[in-house]
Amino acid sequence: MRDPGAARRAWAEQANGEAVPSAKLTYEGSQPFGGELLHRWRLGNGLTVLLLVDGAAPVASYHTWFKVGSRHERPGKTGLAHLFEHLMFNETESLKAGTFDRKLEENGAETNAATWVDWTYYYESLPAERVKLAIQLEAERMTRLVLREPQVASEKEVVANERRYRVDDDVEGSANELLYKTAFSQHPYQWPTIGWMEDIQGFTPEDCVAFYRTYYAPNNATVVVVGDIRERDVLLAIRNAYGTIAAQAIPAEDIDPEPVQLERRETEVRKPTATEKLLVAFKGPALGDADHAVATVLNEVLFGGRASRLYKTLIVDRELATDVRGWVSTFRDPGLFECWATARGTHTTHEIQAVMDDAFARLRADVVSPEELARAKARLELGLLQQLETIPGKAEQIGFFETVLGDPSHAFRRVEAFRRATESDVRRVARRYLRDEGSTVVRVLPESGAAREAAQ
Amino acid sequence: MSAAKSRARAPVRFDLDGGALALLEASHALPLVSIVVALRSGSAADPTGKSGLARIAMRMLRRGCEGMIAEQIDFRIDSLGAEMAVDTAPSTVAIHAQVISRSVGGLVELLTRLLTTPTFPIDELERLKRETIAEIVEARDNDRVVGQKALQRTLFEDHAYGRNSGGTVESVASITRDDVMAFYRRYVVQGNIVVGISGDMDADQAPVVARALIAGLSRGAPAPDDVPEPTMRRGRRLLVVDKPERTQTQILVGTMGTSTHDDDHVALVVANAVFGGTFTSRLMKEVRSKRGWSYGASARTVVDRRRQAWVMWTFPAAEDAAACLKLTLELMGTWVEKGVTPREVAFIERYLVRSHAFEVDTAAKRLHQALDVELLALPADYYSSWTDRVRAVTPEAASAAVRNRIHPADLLAVVVGTAAQVLAPLREAIPDLAEASVVPFDAE
Repeated sequence: MRDPGAARRAWAEQANGEAVPSAKLTYEGSQPFGGELLHRWRLGNGLTVLLLVDGAAPVASYHTWFKVGSRHERPGKTGLAHLFEHLMFNETESLKAGTFDRKLEENGAETNAATWVDWTYYYESLPAERVKLAIQLEAERMTRLVLREPQVASEKEVVANERRYRVDDDVEGSANELLYKTAFSQHPYQWPTIGWMEDIQGFTPEDCVAFYRTYYAPNNATVVVVGDIRERDVLLAIRNAYGTIAAQAIPAEDIDPEPVQLERRETEVRKPTATEKLLVAFKGPALGDADHAVATVLNEVLFGGRASRLYKTLIVDRELATDVRGWVSTFRDPGLFECWATARGTHTTHEIQAVMDDAFARLRADVVSPEELARAKARLELGLLQQLETIPGKAEQIGFFETVLGDPSHAFRRVEAFRRATESDVRRVARRYLRDEGSTVVRVLPESGAAREAAQ
Repeated sequence: MSAAKSRARAPVRFDLDGGALALLEASHALPLVSIVVALRSGSAADPTGKSGLARIAMRMLRRGCEGMIAEQIDFRIDSLGAEMAVDTAPSTVAIHAQVISRSVGGLVELLTRLLTTPTFPIDELERLKRETIAEIVEARDNDRVVGQKALQRTLFEDHAYGRNSGGTVESVASITRDDVMAFYRRYVVQGNIVVGISGDMDADQAPVVARALIAGLSRGAPAPDDVPEPTMRRGRRLLVVDKPERTQTQILVGTMGTSTHDDDHVALVVANAVFGGTFTSRLMKEVRSKRGWSYGASARTVVDRRRQAWVMWTFPAAEDAAACLKLTLELMGTWVEKGVTPREVAFIERYLVRSHAFEVDTAAKRLHQALDVELLALPADYYSSWTDRVRAVTPEAASAAVRNRIHPADLLAVVVGTAAQVLAPLREAIPDLAEASVVPFDAE
């Protein structure tokens, strides 16, 4: 059979010519991504490049994913990965402060970044013919960022304000932070990615430089390019921009696995809110665990759509809640299966929790109906398609699954796994994870009688 | 599909029975179909004291139809792998549905039944009202939403734009089944409907689907467009929305903005983008980059059938609130007085023209532009000539548009924060302040 990668390998050999070892391109094969082919390349310095040509619109999205997140921090220095993400938009050796964003905006690009427990990523979405600008700028800041005291001080203030917005003055944000702090005792998932306020305020430029030199290296990154691009032009531009950057020794992770939880943990917090809020969480499977897809189906049975069990019981039939949601964390290491509910009026978290406990017990005791399973699978398939509606959406899916699991097309494999999930699988996963002794409960209670009266 | 083809396309239009219109924007990139059933009227037409009616009435369509109770409808939607939601705005209210292509027939059949044979069960109406009131109470947890609602009702006062599309606790409680039935009879009629379809559907199938959706409706006429032009009170006002224990404030500064039919509309949009429309705008540079006072800082022009608001937004820590408000008002004053520079205009025009590719990169976005033109009565070429009109704006025209349309002497500053901490310094921060008041955060 003809080798489908032969033409690319031959081209790479010719294109590499006299290139230095760090700049040599190697073709590592392709895999289907929906109806298209996703190609994997690697530079000599270890930079992974994933390319998907998609001519649906004259645009491109350029993502750079680093395998560093808040899991790589330590107590006292929490929030460094996120603060550093902000600083990446500052000065470089050849670009004055503010120039990075101005150049991109002038070329019609949207740019932003995100940091979470396992990763940090940066993206530029721009007209397809301008993709080389993103390549030049990202290569520049991967290795030539300038970190000075004034910028670090100002950005710490910005992040402190972001924390006030997302956590301190936000009921759900603060409850979620408390949940992870309570549920994890060893693993870095216990601290918030945005960091504790006192840690944010204590960072120095030296902290930031040390972090940069440790984790921002081509062999710790994946570049994803999706859009109406010419594959070879993009590859040559990447080689020219990144080829001289040296690989670094990335320190081995030093993370203690979270010990098995043997007792139910409960905590509560008072907030200026009209109604009670409940978070119930169980220790869940890692994203790469075969149980993760089944747990996601189980979550959909409980929370997906108005016909789902807990939505129907808590919101429609018994009117105990205004909002219910569930999520199985998509983390590299085992995370949580989170259940959130907002009580309605003067109803309490205890009433809601009794309904939830009953629903969990039913899932452990009985198999779900074929109709429920079919509904959950149909909704999950719709969810995947919605994530692939845009070019930046596709790039994000590719980058995320490559960085966490090493499998850029995993979104499609997950849908296959959803389809395979049986009634028995759902019950087995319920019995394995929905264990009372592995659960953590956070209650948010209204602070004052006045707020409480407002709910009546 | 080639990029050139994607750029050249415009939604296909079909005239349907009874004056209804259908728009199709096909794309076979994914097996997904989106269907929008929009009315040419929205919450601005809610009767006095009944704000929230348009939203409640449209949400009631999925709470019972001939042969199906609400529970069966919910089960059917989820079984199809579909989603259905109601989106309400002053000038339009719409059902948005999305489904996996293989189930589009089932969705169209269901949607047709919901539109043409609703039963509006009284127990479901009461349930929906309780649900809606609980949502209104819950929204008080979100300081930004609290600020936006306060700005809207205080800036526009008795005008229809001053009402919240979702209603208030009192207005929702007062809605009766007769109100819902009257709404349905008056507004859910062929002459008042625009159907939009985007995604995996062909041009020969779309008119069949659109006709099927509305065939069972009475003909009717488009709703009259009788909302008056809004006006605003003169002078500078401060409204503090008092909420306990805020470490941060939400600051919204509003005044009258633009109408899409103004000769200088695009010029104002260009000038606003310079001031607060991008990450490197004047506001972001001064508030976030230089001082680190707020995670975000932006200004925007709201678009509707009538002149709408111009709004500036920051969210500094409580101790920085007064200084931040003072600075943003100074920046606003300088913007109005001195206008924008040729260099700024050249820069922002390149941004607006080049980033336009992302306004039209999916079938759903292209469809929504076409729907906006119909439902918000925008000039017919509003989007199709957008980049040409942006390019044509001169620095002089942009500066003149700001000077003529934005009046810093007449503005409303809404601050969500803890009044005991922020009121006094905020009063000091606003020169020529005519009026200051405090309302509790749960006033609405």
